[in-house]
Amino acid sequence: MADGDGAGPLAPFRVLDLTGEIGQLAGRMLGDLGADVIKVEPLEGDGARWNPPFQGEEADLEGSLFWWAFNHNKRGTTLDLGSERGRGLFLRLAEAADFLVESFAPGTMDSIGLPREAIAAANPALVHTSITPFGSDGPYAQWRATDLVGVAMGGLASLCGAPGRNPIRPTASQGYAQASAQAVVGTLTAHFHRTRSGKGQHVDQSMQEAVTFTHDNAMPTWDIRGVNIERPGNGRNIGGYASGQYVYETADGWVAALSFGGLFGLTARQTIGWLDRHGMAEDLRSEEWIAKLDATQGALTAPQGEEAEHVNGVLRRFCKAFGSAQLTAEAQQIRNGWGIVHRPKDLLANEHLKARGYWTEIDHGEAGSFAYPGPWAKLSKTPISMRRRAPRLGEHNEEVYGGLLGLTAAEIAALSADGVI
Amino acid sequence: MAESGVGKGAFDGIRVADFAWVGVGPLVSKYLADHGAEVIRVESSVRPEPLRRAPPFVDDVPHLDNSGYYADFNSSKRCCSLNMQHRDGVGLAKRLIAKCDVVTESFTPKAMRGWGLTYDDLAEINPSVIMISMPMYGLTGPWSMWQGYGHVLQAAAGISHLTHYPGEEPIGTGVAYTDFLVPHFAAAALIAALDHRERTGEGQNIDFGQLEAAIHATETMALDAAVNGREQEALGARHPAHAPHNTYRCAARGEGDDDRWIAIACTTDAEFAALAEVAGADWARDARFGDAAGRKAHEDALDALISAWTRTQQAEELTGRLQAAGVPAGAVQTPEDLRNDPQLAHRGHFHLLEHPTMGLRAYDGPSFRLSETPGRPSKAAPLLGEDNEHVWKTVAGLTEEEYVEHLISGVFE
Repeated sequence: MADGDGAGPLAPFRVLDLTGEIGQLAGRMLGDLGADVIKVEPLEGDGARWNPPFQGEEADLEGSLFWWAFNHNKRGTTLDLGSERGRGLFLRLAEAADFLVESFAPGTMDSIGLPREAIAAANPALVHTSITPFGSDGPYAQWRATDLVGVAMGGLASLCGAPGRNPIRPTASQGYAQASAQAVVGTLTAHFHRTRSGKGQHVDQSMQEAVTFTHDNAMPTWDIRGVNIERPGNGRNIGGYASGQYVYETADGWVAALSFGGLFGLTARQTIGWLDRHGMAEDLRSEEWIAKLDATQGALTAPQGEEAEHVNGVLRRFCKAFGSAQLTAEAQQIRNGWGIVHRPKDLLANEHLKARGYWTEIDHGEAGSFAYPGPWAKLSKTPISMRRRAPRLGEHNEEVYGGLLGLTAAEIAALSADGVI
Repeated sequence: MAESGVGKGAFDGIRVADFAWVGVGPLVSKYLADHGAEVIRVESSVRPEPLRRAPPFVDDVPHLDNSGYYADFNSSKRCCSLNMQHRDGVGLAKRLIAKCDVVTESFTPKAMRGWGLTYDDLAEINPSVIMISMPMYGLTGPWSMWQGYGHVLQAAAGISHLTHYPGEEPIGTGVAYTDFLVPHFAAAALIAALDHRERTGEGQNIDFGQLEAAIHATETMALDAAVNGREQEALGARHPAHAPHNTYRCAARGEGDDDRWIAIACTTDAEFAALAEVAGADWARDARFGDAAGRKAHEDALDALISAWTRTQQAEELTGRLQAAGVPAGAVQTPEDLRNDPQLAHRGHFHLLEHPTMGLRAYDGPSFRLSETPGRPSKAAPLLGEDNEHVWKTVAGLTEEEYVEHLISGVFE
């Protein structure tokens, strides 16, 4: 058992993290939950250290914000798994760990002489998680994928973008986020079973399959109605039924204003009253229009054509006249669940997140101290913490190989001189 | 605590009172249910779970027991009905909670407070209970009473800011995206807390603000702003550093299906050279495209060349050829394609289950395979109130007389 430095529920446990960019959030989430996470990198450093953006303009081994974002709450070691002594050290680390999370291409660990069975033999209680693009076996197991390919093959891209135009992806990688976060659920499910049984097991996570369950109701809509939902652009599509406009430009940005069902969603009458209080309901305040819009309340299909365009025009003019914060706060008062389309600086300054103490400063020594996204859940007895910056290359070699495995300073120096660590 | 779960698996014997609704909450308890926990949905026909009223419906007939939307999120679960507005509603809820290990809910915070069912209340009757509350904005703070859907929360979390065509309106993904993102974070927190309880006997409260989890999926967006004062922008399907990296239109499939696309993402010069070779083009010898920086600088021209070629190719067939040449590429798959996908079939992602009114329907299973305790949807979604007798008599411990009395009073509506 480990002596994790967090107060979280996984504080008694240790994780070996051999993931690349697809899986680094997984190791970090385990670290957020308090585990002692040891990142094991090749001697030249993990490839994700060169992922942009960087602090400042220059690419630097220690300056990748991608590396920082997904590897804080981890210690850092280097190890050459291509050497026999390196593999021996790895098995000793595996004996001292509770979790192994890796993202090697299927077959790689076999080919370097570290098959899953050998690792399980060294530590039968280990929970071993593999995060790969398509899964550990099957017809596509050897295929290559970046985030874009995962988002495409898993189907999310088919629902992102505008009709007739090319499918897009969230520029922040969601295939990786989904694969990592779902892998953590599988890993902890296996961990719970281990707590009861003492037995470890293998967790086989596929990015494609993780993305396959991000489609809202598109799968049952195909299953039941035989309809492939179309990319809705600036609209929504619920179960194959297209609704009206969804994001509106305001005086200072954009708001997301879901029209669920009919033109104004489930609260058309209240919405018109709201516009009217600002003197901007135009002719929608007439009995004729209110009756017409009431008739669409909760309807599956939004009205189309000229009438829809007229009503939408009133709403567009209204939104353009006010700031996003005012519009959203007033919408919430009439139980209309609008939200602000936040830009990054809005989030950093957001009063609600401040009141909850969300942003967490992590000290980078001479490089400064920076606000990171904070705990993603507030556990009352075993809190999540963001407590150490991402490791420099090999920063904790002595701590880990000396303190944990008990090697002497001379042995560590020899391993270093021989290019094993 | 439970004698037997609906299924068998890692959470066998764990019992959950699931007051949550719509997406986030039910998807958290689905993980537990698909791995053997006895998850009891607590619902009411007086104020129905919104997803029971949302499409798709079998034969397009709206009915509380006919929604595929609800069904997919609630596999392997039981369902009891309870009218919380009834004078006996809260008391019965407490009798049930006393017999459960976990309580889940996703209302705005005033609901559970109004019923006297906060964690502090529940800990009095069940000291080791774990309660997870999953409101959009958390249990505290100035926005805690705000409501919304995942369509809106993706905007609030900054995901929409990074999901649109360059320079155009921030449309976000086409789905209620955060509903399919934050449940994994919530489930991770909940299972870690369950494990802590298993080892120590200590229960706890989890205040899960959906917004706070969703921000963790914006990659380096917040850190770039905090460190460099830089505002990242949406790039459509392109990448800040790599090119080619986009979706390209392919040949129509059969008659009328002209919405066929392939994603191609070259991250090295070698992958680009392999792409050019498959295309039979001399792109790799074009001085403009000699390295990643050059390809980024001439990305419009490069994308036009690639599109002209892919337009003549079938997306699936081309995917196979590019992958064989070592190029990261994949067809942009529709739901229909996913149902026919050989890799997902190999992994057994979709599970066909018979539902009393909806018939044989496909359910999503977990996306990971556990070698020793594999999870799977073990039972179709429950009818509203389907398990009332079991839940109220066997689990909560009502006598036959009490049960009948309550039935007549209308508290189970």
